[in-house]
Amino acid sequence: MRLGTILAVLALLLAACGDSKSPSKRVIAVIPKGTTHEFWKSIHAGALKAAAESGVDIAWKGPPKEDDRDEQIKVVEDSVTRRVAAIVLAPLDEAALATPVAEAAKDKIPVVVIDSDLKGDAHASFVATDNEKGGAMAAERLGTLLGGKGRVLMLRYQVGSASTEKRERGFLAGIAKFPGITMVSDNQYAGATAEAAYAAAENLLQRFPELDGIFCPNESATFGMLRALTSVGRNGKVKFVGFDASAKLAEALKTGDIHGLVLQNPFRMGYLGVKTALDVLDGKLVERRIDTGVAMATPDNMTTPDIAELLNPKLPENVR
Amino acid sequence: MSDSNAVRLVRRLGPFLGLALVLVLFTALEPDRFPTAVNFRTVLTQTVIVGLGAVGMTFVVVSGGIDLSVGSSIALSTIVIARLLRDGASPAAAALAGVVAGGVVGVVNGTLITRLRIAPFIVTLGTLQIVRGTAKYLAGEQKIDAPASWLAGLMAKSPDPSWLIVAPGVWALILLAGFLAFVLRRSILGVHTYAIGSNESTAVLCGIKVDRTKVLIYGLSGLMTGLAGLMQFSRLTVGDPTAATGLELNIIAAVVIGGASLSGGVGGIAGSLVGALVMAFLANGCTLVGVPNYAQEILVGAIIVAVVAIDRSKRGT
Repeated sequence: MRLGTILAVLALLLAACGDSKSPSKRVIAVIPKGTTHEFWKSIHAGALKAAAESGVDIAWKGPPKEDDRDEQIKVVEDSVTRRVAAIVLAPLDEAALATPVAEAAKDKIPVVVIDSDLKGDAHASFVATDNEKGGAMAAERLGTLLGGKGRVLMLRYQVGSASTEKRERGFLAGIAKFPGITMVSDNQYAGATAEAAYAAAENLLQRFPELDGIFCPNESATFGMLRALTSVGRNGKVKFVGFDASAKLAEALKTGDIHGLVLQNPFRMGYLGVKTALDVLDGKLVERRIDTGVAMATPDNMTTPDIAELLNPKLPENVR
Repeated sequence: MSDSNAVRLVRRLGPFLGLALVLVLFTALEPDRFPTAVNFRTVLTQTVIVGLGAVGMTFVVVSGGIDLSVGSSIALSTIVIARLLRDGASPAAAALAGVVAGGVVGVVNGTLITRLRIAPFIVTLGTLQIVRGTAKYLAGEQKIDAPASWLAGLMAKSPDPSWLIVAPGVWALILLAGFLAFVLRRSILGVHTYAIGSNESTAVLCGIKVDRTKVLIYGLSGLMTGLAGLMQFSRLTVGDPTAATGLELNIIAAVVIGGASLSGGVGGIAGSLVGALVMAFLANGCTLVGVPNYAQEILVGAIIVAVVAIDRSKRGT
């Protein structure tokens, strides 16, 4: 008796929580690295827009444990057994996700990789930010702000993070074009959290009391550095260029504590990821590499519609 | 606790009813996609890591202990394997070292618990951090890429040779679970494990070498964790110092759903395996049906409490 009741309640719950999918529509699985960050919500919104335009359904499912490689592998495997039409994947690991993606491709389910690259050639296309270009843009901005001379430091993000390493490489190559600029430090790492970045930034600022420019390659490092600068009262005095946006960073851009933010376009990444997957399904030839573009937000251009949208994306209701 | 035969039967069947419930539920919701050979093969492979961990953990829980360090230990094992492979060791040697690394962590746990007379929860809460830190140190705080080897085939869903039907890892789980179920029910070690978990002071009075048995239990459980680490490496093909974070809770949940009591003396290998299958089928089914992650987490939590509540009410305790 009791089992029956529980069964009924569970079935009801699951049915209520599940996708309200019409069976005739094609389903594209979109698999992010996690589900709670702003960045992924923008990707979700982009994917939904592409789906609405093309009359397909999106199955949005990240690893239940944020940033867990094995759980993401499971989601890819389960999407294959679910027989989705195609998979759009932001792989947590360029090597670990290669096997399940190859298996999906073998099962005739095309995979489009977004955000971070994947080893092997089983995936149909790679749709992402050109991170090296983003780093070079930051160098260009900082060099111009400093009039081509001064002492600059870069706080790296984390060992082994491919996307931020490319930004760092692009930045160093770009800054080398300004012979008057000396890099005083480029070997310190911020670590995974804003708190760790804060501590690392404090130590660096302590070590370099005379500093003209700073670059940080991601959101948490930029935020940690901003907090450290503010706590010692050097905010606004040092030219500071960061990467990615958040409400706090946009605010600092407005008050002049940050002088430039390199912005990716996650909405476009989600949108083009799904569109590219649909092109593959329709038998069209797609580019192996699709650049979703980077933009530089400055205190001057931050109110223009394009930049404002990137800085503070308005997400539709259905993206939680 | 007075057990009549009927009550004992129901208790042993409890986890199986839970599994049947989950299977029936998802078959009803996804009749075309859930009950297929491909999907079952996939889920079995996904169960291996938690399953191996749960088989070892059953010994620990039945003895009245707990081991919170298994998630970290799995990560350590993947790092040991990846580093050795990178440095040119043979795959077999690297795999063995990975399993032994798990065993060493287990023996350290057992020794600390018995020598320092500190509760297993506290000791392994400590080693959870220590082992995770060691894994990160050995890995240089990044994942380690290893050259391709046959170890990746251990968890291949379409095994080579194909007459195996399921991944070699699944067979390893089935055979080891069978063997250890026998050990737990029939061997001296098993009898002592139940005795210690039921009443430790009585066990001492009966002349059981409690400390030595405990070290053995944690060591055995550690070896199973090391093997789970090998399977984790096989799936990831890289050594990942952040792998299996929090997995100890899934493993403990599997053991508890399987009918074991955290106060010791009660539990069995078959139940724990079924518990692991329940968790795996739940996660798989939720993805197939398209349940968002937050709902899945609430659901899994509710099921853990519900299954144990039903189990207890049937026992009348």
